Amino acid sequence: MSNHFSELESAWKQDKKNIKSSSTALDAVYEKIQTNKKESFFFYYGTIVILTITLLVISSFFYFVAPVEKLLSRIGIGLMLVGLLVRIVIEIVSIVKSKRVHILDSSLETVNNTIAFHTFRKNVHGIVTPIIIAFYTVGFYLITPEFLLYLPVWNVVLYDISYIVIAVVLFIQIRKGVLKEMKIVHETVELKKSLLQEG
Amino acid sequence: MSKKDTSLFESIHQQYFPMVLQMCLGFVKGDYDKARDLSQEVFIKVWIHLDSFKGISSYKTWIYRITVNTCLQLIRKKKKNVTLPIETIALSFTEESKNDTSEASNRLYKAIGQLNELDRLLIMMVLEGQEYDDIADVLGIQPTNVRVKIHRIKKRLKNILNHE
Repeated sequence: MSNHFSELESAWKQDKKNIKSSSTALDAVYEKIQTNKKESFFFYYGTIVILTITLLVISSFFYFVAPVEKLLSRIGIGLMLVGLLVRIVIEIVSIVKSKRVHILDSSLETVNNTIAFHTFRKNVHGIVTPIIIAFYTVGFYLITPEFLLYLPVWNVVLYDISYIVIAVVLFIQIRKGVLKEMKIVHETVELKKSLLQEG
Repeated sequence: MSKKDTSLFESIHQQYFPMVLQMCLGFVKGDYDKARDLSQEVFIKVWIHLDSFKGISSYKTWIYRITVNTCLQLIRKKKKNVTLPIETIALSFTEESKNDTSEASNRLYKAIGQLNELDRLLIMMVLEGQEYDDIADVLGIQPTNVRVKIHRIKKRLKNILNHE
């Protein structure tokens, strides 16, 4: 066994001599650092920015353009806005948790933090997001009766049907998200098992 | 980052680039493009975290930690892509080194490529001459567990080489 291994060791050392650091390799790293700076901003904060803009647009629309008068409609708008606000808070918590997956920790710690993070994401996709969408949907339909006072029926029916299409798309997206997170959790748990397995 | 840190980073890059690229090559079974991307990712993390290096371990062990964790994170992403056949190893490596790859090198990468991802990383750290205690520290497991694992991997490597 030791002969085979010594042979591998010398081949390994020999191959390493063929690899040299170059200024091109270093420049490529610097270039990637610059690109990553921009990308990671959008990766972390992109969703928050989009959700916040949506929240502001909806609030402004119902405040300045089409202020509703009925209590039911106001409750509806409230539910929609609360749903969006909770989603923004969850995104912030998600960023904080993702930053706990620290590359400088030992592999076992990194694996444990990865499992915790993706389990959180799985629960967000599988439990919290459907509740938020339910809030949003109920809120949306609570406004409909007041819309009937100002808009033609066919217009409101079209408006309601279009929401069903959006709901189906959202359902498919959520399911995809849950399956993706479950797959990551499963693979990371397997990795943890092989790390801890004796031999 | 200050100019002083930039020169430190550049000297780290110069010193450890061969080690990191070789580990990445071994991990991705010799696919040079993937190994280059992976090694860039490692050095981006080195750059980001250079300020938090406390000197508890050597730079070498610290960079191992980053390399191993970056490789392990790649497992998920990699599974989405088609893995290159082991036969491409010599070709890819030759392109980088611009030298003739020896028969021994082919055997080396072929053999390592047949191990699972974690075992590949472990044995490469041994080939790099890392102490078992340092490997245990990088992985976060007991040194005794490292010894048992390495013994098993060496046995498996022997089988692989004997059945070529």
